[in-house]
Amino acid sequence: MTLVLQPVRVANGIDGEGMLVFDREHRLLAVLTHLSTKNEVAPGQWYLEAGFGRLEGVNHPTFADLDAAQAWIGHRLGKSH
Amino acid sequence: MTFHPDYNPMIRKIESIFMLTDEERQALQQLPMQVVSIKADQDVVREGDRPSRSCLILSGFACTYKVTSAGKRQIVSFNLPGDIPDLQSLHLKVLDNSVSTISPCSVGFIAHEALRDLCTRYPRITSAFWRETLIDAAIFREWVLNVGRREAYTRMAHVLCELLVRLRAVGLTKDYTCDLPITQAEFADALGVTNVHVNRVVQQLRADGLIELSGDRLNILDWEKLKQAGEFDSTYLHLEGKQAAA
Repeated sequence: MTLVLQPVRVANGIDGEGMLVFDREHRLLAVLTHLSTKNEVAPGQWYLEAGFGRLEGVNHPTFADLDAAQAWIGHRLGKSH
Repeated sequence: MTFHPDYNPMIRKIESIFMLTDEERQALQQLPMQVVSIKADQDVVREGDRPSRSCLILSGFACTYKVTSAGKRQIVSFNLPGDIPDLQSLHLKVLDNSVSTISPCSVGFIAHEALRDLCTRYPRITSAFWRETLIDAAIFREWVLNVGRREAYTRMAHVLCELLVRLRAVGLTKDYTCDLPITQAEFADALGVTNVHVNRVVQQLRADGLIELSGDRLNILDWEKLKQAGEFDSTYLHLEGKQAAA
């Protein structure tokens, strides 16, 4: 599955830098936020701020890097087909 | 086991919601129990158990929880010293929830037989226990509202207010400071948000000058503002006497 990433700023008050995640047809799948190094539970990690469609739900994992985030999103979308 | 006459958490808890006579207090003091030290993060009882005894938290923090089929845990209440989180098992044969320690706990197991005997001899103690389980239900109702309809910041402020008032009722606060060995991951399980989100609201509460939360210690810097932030009204805790003024 090909994902397209687009940098964005997220107005959540604390962790500003983020990434929009689209599929090939430019449908928004997820918003990832890069947690600051001051975050006490997952410093410097990427956080699934919001997921849409099949990524929606109570599970909001954190990822060591964007590759890990994309792998998880791809797996989740693939699994539910 | 006999407690230090000045501090028996079960009696402190009951007296915060019910007036006991000297005789009733003495009968509670003499209630036989098996005291066990349990490490942090251990189940005390599990959903599906058919217990023949109830557990009294003597020291430490515990929680009542349920788990989805996918293994996600929802903490439905925090259990503090003086609480008997599975008191309902005296009448409901099968437990529909689990109880786990959060910090290392001292737990007193009281045989149902002994509780029944006590209730037969002291009908007012039956009323006190009934009142206790009714208040537990009131706390669950408040938590449904909290988790279902409040924003994360308000949820967290509300739970911190509740913990302070309940700990104060059993004499475990100093002014607006108390031990709070609950991790942010455990708050996440209680508030129905992620631990990242919990961390954000904790940082926000700190930045707003409402709390200091470091290690196992909570210090509430502005009680009135925290109550306001958490939409906290202690009526649902049904405290009596001087505790009611919280």
